[in-house]
Amino acid sequence: MARFFFNVRHRPGPEGLAVDPEGEEFADLNAARERALSQARIMVARERHTFIRDWMGCAFEIMDEGGQPVLTVPFSDTVPESDFD
Amino acid sequence: MSQAQHSSIRNRLLKALSQDDFALLQPHLQLITTELRQPLIPSNTPVKQLFFPEVGFSSITTQGSGGRVETGLIGREGLIGAWPILLGSDRTPHDQFVQNAGEMLVITTEALCAAISRSASLHKLLLRFIQVQITQTSQTAYVNASQTIDVRLARWLLMCHDRIDGDDIRITHDFLSLMLGTQRSSTTLAVQALEGHRLIKAQRGKITILDRETMEQVADDGYGLPEAEYARLIEGA
Repeated sequence: MARFFFNVRHRPGPEGLAVDPEGEEFADLNAARERALSQARIMVARERHTFIRDWMGCAFEIMDEGGQPVLTVPFSDTVPESDFD
Repeated sequence: MSQAQHSSIRNRLLKALSQDDFALLQPHLQLITTELRQPLIPSNTPVKQLFFPEVGFSSITTQGSGGRVETGLIGREGLIGAWPILLGSDRTPHDQFVQNAGEMLVITTEALCAAISRSASLHKLLLRFIQVQITQTSQTAYVNASQTIDVRLARWLLMCHDRIDGDDIRITHDFLSLMLGTQRSSTTLAVQALEGHRLIKAQRGKITILDRETMEQVADDGYGLPEAEYARLIEGA
């Protein structure tokens, strides 16, 4: 198991990153990505914040225990890609 | 153990009682220390004891397929267990547990009911507290349906602040999400929003209230109605 931290990027610059101080443990990075997507789906569907106008502009910046960025998961990844060209 | 003296009591409900009504309860009150997450009233189980918080507070939660969500908060302004017992039930479908450790005065259901049967004024005061609880629950429904998560967080922190001494609230984002019924990352965003406005200082496992006045403005009409009803109905303001 490894601990991953789910920082949320909601606008550019240092003040646009909500830092996760606690993190959560997962078997691997893929499991952490699935968790990020499931959180994003629920947040997009039913959670409103005063200062966030568009969830589609937000992204999870997942970090490992050493504070290194390991994966970016845009909230827009919750929307399936269109089958149409 | 020496008996609780009316003048040294911190529970606001007990303080609001007349000397005669307090005297009916006093011989039956036993002081206990409480621990974080200690169950006080388990769901669907006969309520054997009720609790007047002196220090610390408790959460009322409901659990469903969507997880566990807090629906109420009772601290030194109240009596835990009053709602089911005074309204004629012997149990409740909701769980109540310690959210912030401290001390509570415990009374058996039997002793409380005996005291109520002897005093109409005691009965009325406790029913008025339940009226305030219903108002608080209704406000929780209102904010959950209509307010943003940062506003809901501000309201919740104010309600905690009312029930502690000092400005430090011990809480993790994980547990806060449970209380607000939100995703953990939504809580992280809301904490950052309030911190960005210097209303709180967040450290791991602890939130410090820095600017209560502005936080009340942020919480808007999500906060204050049950508090005003309490002042009117219980403390005669």
